[in-house]
Amino acid sequence: MKKTLIDTNLQSKVYRGGKEEATQSYSTIRRGVDDAANKGRRMNANLYKDPTNIIITGVGGQGNVMASRVLAGMLVNAGFIVTIGETFGMSQRGGSVMSHLRVSSSSVLSPQIPQGRADIVIALEPVEALRVLTRYGNPDVAVLTNSRMVYPMGVITGDFTYPSLDEVRTMFEKLAAKSWIIDATSVAVDLGNPVLSNIVMIGALAGTSLLPIDRRAFEKEIAKSIPAGKHQINLTAFDAGAKMI
Amino acid sequence: MSKLLSPAKTEVLFMGNEAIARGALEAGVSVVSGYPGTPSSEVIERLSEVARERNLYVEWSTNEKVALEVAAAASFAGLRSMCVMKQNGVNVASDFLLHLSSSGTRGGIVLVECEDPGALSSVNEGESRYFARMLEVPLLEPASFQEAKDLTKWAFELSEKIRNIVILRSVTRMSHASGNVICGKLPEKFRTARFISDGSVMDPLRGPVVSTPVVIKHGLQQKKLQTAAGLFEKSPFNSYTGPKRPELLIITSSACFLYSREAIEMLGLQKRVGILKLSCTWPLPEKLLKKYLRLTDRIMVVEEVLPFLEENIKVAAMGMLKEIGMKTFYGKMDKTLPSAGELNPEIVVAALSKIMKVKPASLPAAYVKEIQKVAPKIPPRAQTFCPGCPHRASFWNINTALKLDGREGIVCGDIGCYAMASLWPEIGFHTVRTLHSMGSGTGLASGFAKLAAFGLDKPIMAVCGDSTFYHAVIPALINAQHNKADITFIVLDNAGTAMTGFQPHPGINESAIGDPLPSIDIAAICRGIGAKVAVSDPFDLEGTGKILTSFMAERGTLKVLILKQACALSPEKKGKKQFQVKVNEELCLGDHCGCNRLCTRIFRCPALTWDREKKKAVVDEVICAGCGVCYSICPQKAITRTEVAQ
Amino acid sequence: MVELSLKVKENSQKFLKKYVLDEGLCTGCGACVSICPYQVIYRDRTVQLHQCDLQDGNCSAFCPRTPADPAALRKMLFESADLTPEIGAVKGYYFSRAADPELRATAQHGATVTVLLELALSEGLIDSAVVSTRNQEFLQEGVIVNNTEAIRKNTGSKFTVSPTVAAFNRLVTKEAGNVGVVATPCQALALAKMRISKTEEFENKIKQLKLVIGLYCGWTLSVEKYTKLLLDKNITPESIRKMDIPAGKNVLEIFTDDGAKAIPFEEVQACVRDACQYCMDSTAEYADVSVGSARFAGSWEEVRQWNQLIVRTEKGKALVDLAVKKGVLEVRTAPEESLNELKAAAVNKKKNALKNIIRKSGSVKNLLYLDSRDPAVLKYLTKEVFNKKVK
Repeated sequence: MKKTLIDTNLQSKVYRGGKEEATQSYSTIRRGVDDAANKGRRMNANLYKDPTNIIITGVGGQGNVMASRVLAGMLVNAGFIVTIGETFGMSQRGGSVMSHLRVSSSSVLSPQIPQGRADIVIALEPVEALRVLTRYGNPDVAVLTNSRMVYPMGVITGDFTYPSLDEVRTMFEKLAAKSWIIDATSVAVDLGNPVLSNIVMIGALAGTSLLPIDRRAFEKEIAKSIPAGKHQINLTAFDAGAKMI
Repeated sequence: MSKLLSPAKTEVLFMGNEAIARGALEAGVSVVSGYPGTPSSEVIERLSEVARERNLYVEWSTNEKVALEVAAAASFAGLRSMCVMKQNGVNVASDFLLHLSSSGTRGGIVLVECEDPGALSSVNEGESRYFARMLEVPLLEPASFQEAKDLTKWAFELSEKIRNIVILRSVTRMSHASGNVICGKLPEKFRTARFISDGSVMDPLRGPVVSTPVVIKHGLQQKKLQTAAGLFEKSPFNSYTGPKRPELLIITSSACFLYSREAIEMLGLQKRVGILKLSCTWPLPEKLLKKYLRLTDRIMVVEEVLPFLEENIKVAAMGMLKEIGMKTFYGKMDKTLPSAGELNPEIVVAALSKIMKVKPASLPAAYVKEIQKVAPKIPPRAQTFCPGCPHRASFWNINTALKLDGREGIVCGDIGCYAMASLWPEIGFHTVRTLHSMGSGTGLASGFAKLAAFGLDKPIMAVCGDSTFYHAVIPALINAQHNKADITFIVLDNAGTAMTGFQPHPGINESAIGDPLPSIDIAAICRGIGAKVAVSDPFDLEGTGKILTSFMAERGTLKVLILKQACALSPEKKGKKQFQVKVNEELCLGDHCGCNRLCTRIFRCPALTWDREKKKAVVDEVICAGCGVCYSICPQKAITRTEVAQ
Repeated sequence: MVELSLKVKENSQKFLKKYVLDEGLCTGCGACVSICPYQVIYRDRTVQLHQCDLQDGNCSAFCPRTPADPAALRKMLFESADLTPEIGAVKGYYFSRAADPELRATAQHGATVTVLLELALSEGLIDSAVVSTRNQEFLQEGVIVNNTEAIRKNTGSKFTVSPTVAAFNRLVTKEAGNVGVVATPCQALALAKMRISKTEEFENKIKQLKLVIGLYCGWTLSVEKYTKLLLDKNITPESIRKMDIPAGKNVLEIFTDDGAKAIPFEEVQACVRDACQYCMDSTAEYADVSVGSARFAGSWEEVRQWNQLIVRTEKGKALVDLAVKKGVLEVRTAPEESLNELKAAAVNKKKNALKNIIRKSGSVKNLLYLDSRDPAVLKYLTKEVFNKKVK
């Protein structure tokens, strides 16, 4: 990886990686493999689309943020430039949550995916998948969703109705090029903790081969980001997910 | 090893706030203080995790003003220090900030303020960049994750160079977004603190640290700003990318740079539109500005919240009119861009396509039709109190007491998760009526209580959280007690700064890095000022209700009720159920007269769902936190709870 | 009238709020309380805690101040030959008192209610009784009792309203068995409405109701106003042992630990609960028997020891006959003029109520919860009442 030393006119000497930076000219931040500044960048895999825009969605408390971090970590390890956009704080409390992941071989992208530009939607909750599709979907989008429903308060109180899983499936057929619906929560509950459903989903995502990620990449990432005592259960969850596709 | 301590030259995925924290570490920061607030909290959280290894003093201070004072002391003693807060915090700290910027500083000191355009996790869209202009200090705004780190480090150097504080402004989409960052070197030496003050009052490094003689020091302060402007002219953090003769020049900063760049690409305007990205936004580097303003007649300023850059650029352009000629400006002021709410790539695309007369790509019409068919079938998902949240029980109690009292009492709200009771009234049983800055609920209550003489004779209540209590409620409470304000003041003590992630506060017996500290008892403070105090468990509906109704009946004094119950997401509670909760279907009346779904329609715990086929309430075991409060409200005793052995 | 009935269908709870609570018609009987979690009684006020959206709830069906079908109620409970327009069904009208002088000494008047309740219990006609009691703060509460001692502890007039029907709703479980209730006119009406509008959930409970002993009632006092009055007079509610309104003296006598005190009647009247001025029933017309204080020529000490007793139903008659047969109740035939006096007083109350109702509604066509087609109402819609229409 080519590195250049840049003088910041104070004490700082800033190392620049072989990738675009704000301090370099615009011509070097065009996207794609011919990006001059990124020519030396080594990726150990290819994206089927560059950049790939991924949205991970769910309900506050389902482990959305953790899933996006693990997935992004795996991709960064593989040499990609990843931008994650997410919100948390009060917006997390029982509301819809969304992480935008943008994977590129050459460019830092906006932390918000533009409308209609998602490539992959991963949902820990079915209507959240639909909600994301209606804003970010396009005829080529692929969607992978957990079938476990978490009823919004308005549905519980009876002010709104929740579509059946069959209806959800039909809507996916209209709005996505590919779709998978899996019962990740049941698998996670069987493993002893419903929160593991996010890892089951990551395993399933690996199973779809939409992204250059596999078990080894997962193992490598969790070795860094998850306490050792929890490695085995997470690996089991990942494997269970991968098998569901 | 913490990711924050990754070796130099390694490339890691950092959240914007982590990049800022790493930048501070690379600058050799010694003291870090702040008050939690989304989207700023992770800067201090991450630093507290490496505090021991990096010889840092990390403090969650009582409020932002105190935090800035704590950081300033370190600067006076020659250390590098950083103070972190969200946009509102700058207002709290601003009184000291004015004086600090006048007295000047010694060791590098950076005020990191994270704003929340669109108020994703705030009750305001506060804009703090004007403080830099008003208080005459430099302002930096990183536009990428790498830059968040680099610019933070540079900010310390700049501060030390000009001997004044520097403000670094981030936004939610920077602080809470993540991206690749190549780490720099961490210093191996740590500074020692020395405070010398026996020199001349005019000696910035050896004299007393004061803002007098005011006029002379004010002049010096302005010179410092000019020095900063000089550095900004040549700073690589400001850059132009684009054609030599663009048809339109976008001037932008922060996350808006990423939106603008993406918008240009989406419209394929790379050869027609240039971007001047400014990361040093106050004082403006005027020569640099002049150079790029000359390139074209049309300028669009893309920024979030208020038109700070736009105003300053327009003023600067006026001063150089002869050299640059007349310009057409687009931005917030002419409504090309929305004047409120956050921006995103589409908004910039819309503005650009209008100016450049190009059409953005659109989805196939058939697909849009399908979206229009699906959209109405998606039930909205409003925020709500979590399963097991003590606030639900507390507001249940307060609402019941208000209704029983029957005089339509007024409840003033405050900042915390419980603010949701005023933002989405139905989740707090339509109880809270006002919501402003931290501590304001109690001040407002103190005022409302004095309006009886003018015909507003109603019971007055205020609620506040435990962290808020220490932050800004105490003066208001003393005001209420001293002025004999008849209020029932309720502390929703959930044992931590819950909304922002359980940062400790003065009521908790440990520090940011887990060292033992004495806790300051809220009840003792309230008793100390002479208020009548009671403590109750909000989950004890009957006991709490009795205290509340008796407090409301007692006229003429300040009454304090502390409702103690830890947040359901708190580390000590999370994943542990006190009770196994079940619904006995035989007994559940469902939607029949006699219950009509009290638990699922009114109590609104997300873990209590409604089985439409059976027409019975069901406990969602996966998300139930096991608080058991629903057992107490079920009129049929159809909800059973059994204690879980811990 | 028709319109009102339709509105009940719309949303029972809102109807109660709009047409009963907000109109000041709520008697505080407690019929809408303890049948669901939405209404409670606090002090003597009915409070709606949360919104219920049901359309045909028991709350409005049971409320004595929502429109009812009085003809159907009377048909269900009484023999048509016994019905009088002034005081409802009358099978017999007597002066009565407990045979036991000791019992009389502890009771308000002739202890007729105590005697009848005790007898009903001991004969197994009922297994328990719902009566009202008074707590420290002067608040009335209904309790369920099943022995002599408990009954005797709770005797005596309280003059504030008791949520007795709420106590019936809450305390009458399957285990309580057959139940008797001591009820004021509004409470007796609520219990009668429960019988007619019984729902699936309520059917078993209302079947347990075997006896209603009605109490004469001219008005009740608002707790808030009355406690304030007592405080003004330096009387602590806790110290009150007994209260009475002696005939012809125009005072309320209060017997406290520190001795007797008298409060001028007009001051007491200012504390009367709003709802009571719209009530047409002073003799508890929907009870099995109704009991009040006697009024006849003689010394007050003598009169005080007697009750008036109206026997209204077969069940009531059987119980009174048994009490007389067992020698626990002394009964005298009341003179005709006494009955006439009672009727005159009852008519007066009815007319006053109608006047007040018309004044409130502003139109003779709107009688609030009453139905002008009910002969017992129509009869008293006289010119004299009409003319009071607009003040």
